[in-house]
Amino acid sequence: MVKISKRGALASALLMATALSTAHAADMTQERALKADSEPQNWILHAQNFEGHRFSRLKEINVDNAKNLKLAYTVALGGFQSGGRYAFGNLEGTPIVEDGMLYVTDGWGSVYAIDGKAGVRHSRVVWKMDPGTDRAWAGDVACCGVNNRGVALWKDKIVSIGLDGRIFLISKATGELIWERKVGEPAIGETITAAPLVVHDIAVTGAAGGEFGIRGWYDATDLNTGKQAWRTFTIPGKGEPGNETWKDGKDRWMHGGASAWVTPTYDYQLDMIYAGVGNAGPDYDPDFRPGDNKWAASVIAMNAKDGKIKWGFQYTPNDPYDYDEISEHPIVRTKVNGQDRTVVTHAGRNGFYYALDAANGSFIAGKQYVDKLNWTTGLDPKTGKPLEYDPNKDVQTYVKGSAPSRANPKTMVKCPTTTGGKNWEPTAYNPELNLMYIPSAEGCNTLELQVQADFVDQGGTVKPRDRFTGGSGKAEGKLKGSIKAVDPISGENKISLALEYPNWAGLLATAGNLIVTGHPDGEFSVYDAKNLKEVFNYSTGCGINAPPVSYSVGGKQYIAVLIGSLQKAAILADSPELKNTATCSMLYVFSL
Amino acid sequence: MTSTLKGFFFSILATILLIGMAAPSAYAQDAAEAREIEYGKDIFKTKATCQFCHKWDGSGDQGYGGNAPSLRKTELNPDQVKEVVKCGRIGTGMPYHDKFAYTDKRCYGAVRDELGTDIPPIGNEYLQPREIEAVVKYVFTKVHGRGEATYDECTEFWGKESRQCDQYKK
Repeated sequence: MVKISKRGALASALLMATALSTAHAADMTQERALKADSEPQNWILHAQNFEGHRFSRLKEINVDNAKNLKLAYTVALGGFQSGGRYAFGNLEGTPIVEDGMLYVTDGWGSVYAIDGKAGVRHSRVVWKMDPGTDRAWAGDVACCGVNNRGVALWKDKIVSIGLDGRIFLISKATGELIWERKVGEPAIGETITAAPLVVHDIAVTGAAGGEFGIRGWYDATDLNTGKQAWRTFTIPGKGEPGNETWKDGKDRWMHGGASAWVTPTYDYQLDMIYAGVGNAGPDYDPDFRPGDNKWAASVIAMNAKDGKIKWGFQYTPNDPYDYDEISEHPIVRTKVNGQDRTVVTHAGRNGFYYALDAANGSFIAGKQYVDKLNWTTGLDPKTGKPLEYDPNKDVQTYVKGSAPSRANPKTMVKCPTTTGGKNWEPTAYNPELNLMYIPSAEGCNTLELQVQADFVDQGGTVKPRDRFTGGSGKAEGKLKGSIKAVDPISGENKISLALEYPNWAGLLATAGNLIVTGHPDGEFSVYDAKNLKEVFNYSTGCGINAPPVSYSVGGKQYIAVLIGSLQKAAILADSPELKNTATCSMLYVFSL
Repeated sequence: MTSTLKGFFFSILATILLIGMAAPSAYAQDAAEAREIEYGKDIFKTKATCQFCHKWDGSGDQGYGGNAPSLRKTELNPDQVKEVVKCGRIGTGMPYHDKFAYTDKRCYGAVRDELGTDIPPIGNEYLQPREIEAVVKYVFTKVHGRGEATYDECTEFWGKESRQCDQYKK
């Protein structure tokens, strides 16, 4: 028998306790990720599954009892600090949940491991990893807030990103930083805000900076080595197909925007990644960049293994409106005209809902989902292109007066507004009801072109990190919101709910037939998925800008959401009642 | 010692005494002004985040927020800039910062309902008159009339711990 000293016994007891609290979390593998739907107690992928459904199969909380929801616990987070152009950080993240542990981020890239079990009486924050982001440097070239949309799991580790262009590998047990890799370069206006997509053993993320003259890309980091696996530019280079759609003759594609700042979806059968691509730059001076400007305002399908573009579909060629289409492309497997099809869907910032064939990108259907849309009269039923699109024109004008041009710099009131339609805030899909739920902004704006100068490396005056937008927009009237439940293939509207404010949080759908979201005025709402009537409401007292998730531990279901919103000028312009709402930085969790 | 010399020494003594007496108040005035400028800078940088649209160096910018003119080159005088900070600019993205603007006729003789969608947006934060004085003082001391931004100006604004100013190194 081995003699164990008192101190030794204490040490082993502590070791066992540590082991007990962490060892039960299985490693994250490709095989496990593919079966995310079979772990309803967890939320192990950014959008719940690779298909991007954001559908929890838990139903302890359901349409009959959701009225009894109450606050289970809250956790105060950090990330308030000012930096660059921003007075404070913002919360847009989706929590990852595994075996009762929540992994969440704040806008400046700190990662928090939070114990989400019932009955915790001590601090729930088990560890925090602050990457020490250079706030002034990164925050000065963040177009739209200090954001970080979440982490990913890989093996027994966490993969996270920072606004100043870095990707991190962290120990899941302790939060220790294992390595970091510089992926984006703020010195040329690149920042990173999207949660990484981990497939096989690579982490895919992309560059934001479409308002700062970047050339966008998706980049894969080999997690085994910490080195680059591949990089695919969203604007094809010289000699590559698509580069000919930049017809200025001055290589302006090199600063053409087409940013990447939302996590793509992934189809395991085709081993392809479906990634949205942002607006062309400069946003509002289309005369600067004649041609269709591929793959700006598009979706691209890339091989997961090497990042090669298999196909692309451009929503708004030569986009003059900043109809950036980075947002998610949920995958739906269903029958179309009696045939099994894998369909890539998208609620566009341009106001249309699209269904495309996952294998080749062919257009299946498209339909307007916003209340007001006047920049085009509709989509061509064969090609899916806007009806006024003229392939022989270098600069598209669409409906007369809706697009800014050097001849007519100020537009009419055009709808939807520049922010969409739908921006990054994610849709949710309930496969049991076969409905896609779209969080939307409803409203219009005007645009005013300012003739854009070239970058210094192309003989102009614009320096790296300068804004590069060719004008600006102005809200016209109050911006409101809505949730639209549509058929996932035809886009036909089945149920609508009008909202007082644009939805800037995104949605969660659950098997309890619920739709869950938060609002800019701090209201947290749960709706009946079959009629979108509100069944529960809680005033959090602070704007909500992040999508909820659901998990269970010990058989008890929870709904978790990050609370803390930058109140955008576009909302405040006509909603002075929100003027005095302060921001915060909190995790709220509800249960029965 | 001649009386002239006496007079000379006396006047030097008087000058030294005068300087000695005057210095503390001049110093206090300088310190008060420096503090007001620093206070104005904080409003420009963080509280009202004027820099979001006008850029940190006030050279003007475009994009989200509006086409913001250069404050380095503005032809407006301090009183006019104060009015613009207080009331915003009708029909543009320049926000107002007086909480009660357009509730009565204090701004351009107009109230909210008369302006429709031309009403300026609400500022990130409302500012009190003392704050408006300070931010305009800052603009006319540290921004207005200057040429291209320099590295020293940049580090004065952001500090030296960030890479933010590397691009201004010659």
